[in-house]
Amino acid sequence: MIRQPIQFSTKIGISTVAILASLATYEMLARHQSNINPKQTTVPSLLQFGEGFHEITEANDKGETWLGQDLVATFGRLAVGLGLGVVLSVVIGVAMGAYPWVEALFAPPVLFLAKIPPTAMLAVYFVLFGTEGEMFVAMVGLSVFFTLAQSVYSAAKKDVTDHVVYKAYSLGASSPEVIFEVLWKQILPRVIEAIRLQIGPAMVFLIAAEYVVGDVGFGYRIRIQGRRMNFDVVYIYLVILGASGLGLDWLLNCTRRKLCPWFGE
Amino acid sequence: MKYFPSLGLCAFMAFAGCTGKESTTTSNVSADGAAAPAFTLAWSEYPSWSVFGVADEQGLIDGDEGAMGEIETKWNVDIVLKQADYDTCLLFYGSSQTDAVCITNMDTLPPSLTRDSVAILPTSTSVGADACIVVGMDSIDDLKGKTTFGLEMSVSQYCFERNLELQGKTIEDFPFKNMDPGAAAQAMQSGQAATESIMVWNPFVMQTLRTRDGAKVLFDSSTIPEEIIDMVVIGKDSLGKPGGEAFAAAVVDCFYEICKRMEDPELGDKTLVQLGEKFSSLNLEDMQEVVKQTQFYSTPEAGMELFNKEKFQNETMPQVVDFCVSHGIVDNKPKLGFGDDSAQVNFVTTYIEKVKAE
Repeated sequence: MIRQPIQFSTKIGISTVAILASLATYEMLARHQSNINPKQTTVPSLLQFGEGFHEITEANDKGETWLGQDLVATFGRLAVGLGLGVVLSVVIGVAMGAYPWVEALFAPPVLFLAKIPPTAMLAVYFVLFGTEGEMFVAMVGLSVFFTLAQSVYSAAKKDVTDHVVYKAYSLGASSPEVIFEVLWKQILPRVIEAIRLQIGPAMVFLIAAEYVVGDVGFGYRIRIQGRRMNFDVVYIYLVILGASGLGLDWLLNCTRRKLCPWFGE
Repeated sequence: MKYFPSLGLCAFMAFAGCTGKESTTTSNVSADGAAAPAFTLAWSEYPSWSVFGVADEQGLIDGDEGAMGEIETKWNVDIVLKQADYDTCLLFYGSSQTDAVCITNMDTLPPSLTRDSVAILPTSTSVGADACIVVGMDSIDDLKGKTTFGLEMSVSQYCFERNLELQGKTIEDFPFKNMDPGAAAQAMQSGQAATESIMVWNPFVMQTLRTRDGAKVLFDSSTIPEEIIDMVVIGKDSLGKPGGEAFAAAVVDCFYEICKRMEDPELGDKTLVQLGEKFSSLNLEDMQEVVKQTQFYSTPEAGMELFNKEKFQNETMPQVVDFCVSHGIVDNKPKLGFGDDSAQVNFVTTYIEKVKAE
């Protein structure tokens, strides 16, 4: 039978095995690469990561560390950019779902631009926003805006039935009340879910942008250290990216459960 | 938009660890039926490196595995060409995914710490191909305090600081900020106010000067000839494999053969245009300018002269090493050698001589 439950302890055991197997596979690759060239650093052994960790956490004269600077830069850009993109897309998406004239105005450009991968538009973004620090924020914001606005719009239009809207009106609600009390509350879990799904693409885009024009941040460090064959640093950064992605996922799932317990899993 | 290929590095890193493939030395059957070992050469678009792409086009060599061109048959070795973005080439070489690579003297140092390297052929030197381009400034003093954009830890930064040094300036007064050269050139060409100064290489130098009114060269690599050297480097491990030395000689032979064709009154222009197509689609006039700024070591004599030069051995290379150490590009000084087998970076004229004696 499918979905046959298993014991919690069994589950933990299997997951542990999977993690250990991944680590072992990595270590085997490292050994293999070392057989080709004993001095290689491109696939460092797990034991060599200590050195990379030391390098990224070593403070310079000003007390700054690579890791500290890069975390602030990359996640700062992500947070502010994502924040702007979310606010903008929620406002426009909800308005599109609520008012057909707004829908007619925004639907064609939003639906079209949502289909262009932001990374392919990198050069256009550089021209539009320059290459200074704010550019990253503007780029992340705009890159998530179109897709997110489309999701919000679609939820606001389709997930809230006319029936519910008319019922609210007939009970004496004003238009703002219908929007904030009925429409918004009903689509909130979908919006949170859409944001969660946009973090990955936003991160891809941000790293790519930093890779090309950054002078600090994860993309920058990975490129420069890759050129130096310092892969102990590069892989630690990749692990941090993976872990932070999981963390953000978990955070947004918790938020959704907390704000919209009625929505279920 | 030339810098998009550099994103390929991201993709490369995603799977580099997974393949763990050794550069292959499989056997192929050459035209005369004898088995020819295959060796890979990674190259990126640059005037004196696009030579290998052109050699493939003209049938001198066949860059596919298992196929042999004229020169490959002559040396009984199968040259497999891998074209990639420059950064990716460095990574291929550093992770032993390729036997040989087209690389600058400076960028040879980091991989040499983990893979003993042999420089077999200088292909060209930058004499103006790396330039600091400014707008709205007339002298180096105007640049003081203004940010210059270019690729950090690269020949751009080296050329930038060397010029300041030659002019007796304090390097700290001239901030240098990391940016991909393609993106920096684009920023200046699109007239962004924050981008008043960039330090880039060709084709971006030519492009920017042509596209942006008022853009001019503040200084360039013509003040430091024979310090930035484009070369072909082979891993010592690969050179030691059966056929490795024939491969080295074939690569050298192929380079000089195309150089000869460039001098040829009949084939010269055609070959130059072909080089230009490989290098940012430049036309004949542009390419004539480019090869002035990227001076080829087009004869065995010229190549040998450089590697044997007292100044190159005792001044230039140690200076480049010092730069790399002081800028954190390498943690330790690699051991340099000139015909010294124990060196981590060994400059040899053996294969040039071999081809010359042909």
